[in-house]
Amino acid sequence: MKLTLQVNGRDTSIDLQASAPAARFQIDGSPPREALIEIAGPGVYSVLLDGRSYDAFVEETPAGLIVSLDGFRFEIQVKDPRRWTRAAAGRAGEGVQTLTSPMPGKVVRLLASPGDTVEAGQGILVVEAMKMQNELKAARAGTVLTIAAREGATVAAGEPLATVG
Amino acid sequence: MFRKVLIANRGEIAVRVIRSLREMGIASVAVYSDPDRTSLHVRMADEAVHVGPGPSSESYLRIDRILAAARVRGADAIHPGYGFLSENAEFAAACEAAGVTFIGPSAGSIRAMGSKTAARRSAIAAGAPVVPGVDHAVTAEELRDFARTHGYPILLKAVAGGGGKGMRRVDRDADLDSALRDASSEAERAFRNGDIYVEKLIERPRHIEIQVLGDRHGNMVHLGERECSIQRRHQKVIEECPSPLVARYPEMRHAMGEAAVRAAKAADYYNAGTVEFLVDQEHRFYFLEMNTRLQVEHPITELVTGLDLVRLQVEIAAGARLPFTQDQVSWRGSAIECRIYAEDPFNDFLPYPGKITRLTRPLGPGIRLDGCVYDGWTVPMEYDPLLAKLAVWADTRGNAIARMVRALGEYDVAGIRTNIAFFRQILEDPEFRAGGLHTGFIEEFFRRATPPEPRSDAAAVAALVAALHSASRTSAAAPPSVRLSRWLQQGREDLLR
Repeated sequence: MKLTLQVNGRDTSIDLQASAPAARFQIDGSPPREALIEIAGPGVYSVLLDGRSYDAFVEETPAGLIVSLDGFRFEIQVKDPRRWTRAAAGRAGEGVQTLTSPMPGKVVRLLASPGDTVEAGQGILVVEAMKMQNELKAARAGTVLTIAAREGATVAAGEPLATVG
Repeated sequence: MFRKVLIANRGEIAVRVIRSLREMGIASVAVYSDPDRTSLHVRMADEAVHVGPGPSSESYLRIDRILAAARVRGADAIHPGYGFLSENAEFAAACEAAGVTFIGPSAGSIRAMGSKTAARRSAIAAGAPVVPGVDHAVTAEELRDFARTHGYPILLKAVAGGGGKGMRRVDRDADLDSALRDASSEAERAFRNGDIYVEKLIERPRHIEIQVLGDRHGNMVHLGERECSIQRRHQKVIEECPSPLVARYPEMRHAMGEAAVRAAKAADYYNAGTVEFLVDQEHRFYFLEMNTRLQVEHPITELVTGLDLVRLQVEIAAGARLPFTQDQVSWRGSAIECRIYAEDPFNDFLPYPGKITRLTRPLGPGIRLDGCVYDGWTVPMEYDPLLAKLAVWADTRGNAIARMVRALGEYDVAGIRTNIAFFRQILEDPEFRAGGLHTGFIEEFFRRATPPEPRSDAAAVAALVAALHSASRTSAAAPPSVRLSRWLQQGREDLLR
């Protein structure tokens, strides 16, 4: 099985020739390697590669997978057909800025409405969590196209809240 | 001694207090708001009383409801923890009026030290050195005069403040008016008091504080220092004892300890308290403020002195004399604490509440973990992001750092983001290891440090794991060891919603 991944923004291809527990794989066309893999818990992978032991932790997020290893985070998008569509849809509207929530929290204030003309740096809405408020601002001047959130709504990190075009 | 104590707090400090009470054979009463019903302090306490909805102004800050809970459950005393009502003189007075002992100083001492400007006057009266500044609310005109006399940079601070709210650095005349406006409105929002005072800004200061402890019979000692220079957004994140600076100049402990005891005695202080100092690059120290409560970072003092500060607080509140003199206090080894927050250090330290989906805690030699987190708990978005305090003890500072790095490596929290990996980077930093600390350390660290490199195969392993993980989700014929768990299926369904 061949997959294209994006690992921390870098394209990587992986050819998975045998799966767990005795995996055989090739990365970016380099010689095949073998690794012993066991699942130690939900999202916890114990990997033995060339005699070295790695504990990898996987989290699923709307933006893709996060694999933590030795205290390092690898943000990984697996480019399967379903995700392609989504990414392509995002790219279709060049010049449209999507403001996403930087953290899980609550929308406490809307500072603009659809149709409003806004300047670069102008606040569009405010998200609050744990006594900290964060104002989401337009990166460039434009018109507010949509506001997806209502005041008081609970939002997830990375959730699109408004578009400015 | 008390039979039953109510803890007017939540989170890790409520859990911490319950632990000592249990060891003392004293029953504990928790209070909780709606989102805290399943929080650990409620589950661990002997009794629990609901005090209102999520916003703390309608629950943990409601003096009437806290006192009613104490009355209903028959508590003899109230431990306020830190934050919330802990430094509220009105609350301390209301407890005493209701016949419930407040485990802390008198309302009068809280008042004397609670306002930063009044505290400054007490410190000056007690002969403790203070940073040049004014001790009353200022106007823009007075600010300009102050800057002319002492020079820039200056620091605006909230009279009623703390935690960095209402604080602004000003470097030139042109920024003065807008800085005063911003600081005042921020202070107004945070403390309902927009009064601002001003101090000369000390560049690259260290934050070193002294723990004091006094009984109600006039005895007072200090328990040494804690260095809390590693801060983000003016909040401490790493604390250690001994301070690396004091370790080099041991006479500082005595000098600062004496000054702290004098300042506390001037306010007729009893119970546990902390006198905070700024230390400049010439090692001169200046009184900053006094915290009239147990401090978040008290565990490191406990680790090096072998004392239980909560137990001592309770005993002192019950009328006991200090069980030791200053000469009997001794310090052994080195302790470091990291505050584990639900936040993303690589995205401006923004908070990150949510459900904990997996949790592995560090164990083994020299580890102490004070926390309120459990697997499956949803960290509420209403409160402070402090999840746990990871403290280590070792014979030397170098060994304590190595132990902390080891412990952080064992710590895995999934479902939310935490600053665990960030602490590893700080603790591996040569500047940190050399003890060259100051309150702007983290900002500088981000500018100068090169991100550490993972092991050479780490990216390959991550890619392999991601491929296997995603294959197991999409292929029905997944091999047995990577078949979907119920939890993963749930996660996947959530993603598709």
